Amino acid sequence: MFPQYLRRIHIHRIFFFIGIFAILSFAISCTQTKEFAQIPPAGTAPRRAGPPQVVQIDDAKLKQLLTPNGKPLLVNFWATWCGPCREEFPDLVKIDSEYRGKIDFITISLDFIEEMDTGVPQFLSEMNAEMPTYLLISGDENKLISSIAENWSGGLPFTVLYNESGDKAYLHQGKVSYDTLKSEIEKELTQ
Amino acid sequence: MKRQGIFLISTLALMSLVLAAVGCGAGGDAPQTNDLPIGTKLESFALPDLNGTERSLDDLKGENGAVVVWVSAQCPVVKAYNVRINEAADELKAKGINMIGINSNSTESLDYITSTAEEVGYKFPVLIDKGNVLADKLGADVTPEFYYFGNDNILLYHGALDNDRSGKNVTTNYLREALNSALSSQAIQTNKTNAFGCSIKRA
Repeated sequence: MFPQYLRRIHIHRIFFFIGIFAILSFAISCTQTKEFAQIPPAGTAPRRAGPPQVVQIDDAKLKQLLTPNGKPLLVNFWATWCGPCREEFPDLVKIDSEYRGKIDFITISLDFIEEMDTGVPQFLSEMNAEMPTYLLISGDENKLISSIAENWSGGLPFTVLYNESGDKAYLHQGKVSYDTLKSEIEKELTQ
Repeated sequence: MKRQGIFLISTLALMSLVLAAVGCGAGGDAPQTNDLPIGTKLESFALPDLNGTERSLDDLKGENGAVVVWVSAQCPVVKAYNVRINEAADELKAKGINMIGINSNSTESLDYITSTAEEVGYKFPVLIDKGNVLADKLGADVTPEFYYFGNDNILLYHGALDNDRSGKNVTTNYLREALNSALSSQAIQTNKTNAFGCSIKRA
């Protein structure tokens, strides 16, 4: 129907348009994911403009918060009474500042309720921490710990990185190193 | 040149499609624990008490066994539990089970541990696990953490004392339930629990 050279051009054009279409489709799907991800996870407190605020949550609320909303989700379980937690916190604040908008990051305090309006916000203020922070009062710590990670004994700090799909991409009990955490986050962001 | 460009775009397109299809894979890095399995027999151990005297499990256990509890002088969770731990020690003693405290924290000096133990008034001996040898052997991770061994030194229960750190809303006393079942020759329903606590500061 067409001369040979025209046929070749047609085939090339078809490949060209398929290529452009595929790239655009992928780019659009990524953009949509990112826009969706800007909606904070259900119940998360907005980033603080004023003094640090800590929101009390129960097991059900925690479960909701552990569902990623289109971005990798970093979760740190800690307490002001936990030495290694306090030691690693400046690095977590740095991570929060570097990856804000690229990942969601929340911290879950296991402090006693008496510390919710005193020790916890005071510590967050000292750290210049801005990530949403919740204080968990669990109805059944044993079940809760096992549901988060089978091998977690309950020792603090405990850090979990969920990928966009909600799978656990990285788990660590004990003080986490800044470089390791950064590397794990980068892995998720480049996938 | 033009062909090369088209080939490049086509290849990129295919790669994009593959990437979109594969999505983000997840690699796990779960913490490794080395828990002594329930049902394991523990060989008797010997550690120095706060006066430096060597005390062994076989010497300290009661006629119905022993509960070994990891304590800490500074841990606020242990502090919240201290009254309950002492109450449990009394309750256990009446049932022929003796409590043994272990401190494996490399960050706590003997003087600090001794003065805190006196202040709390522990009703059981506290042994010093220098180099966290026993903690490693049993896989103890946090304070407080309880291990219940029967008279034959077989591990019957491992985990928390109860289900509430604060002590205000305790609805289940795991340790009591476990030892009551064992003492009445019934199966222990829950022989392993987890709880939030202070990490043992290993050497």
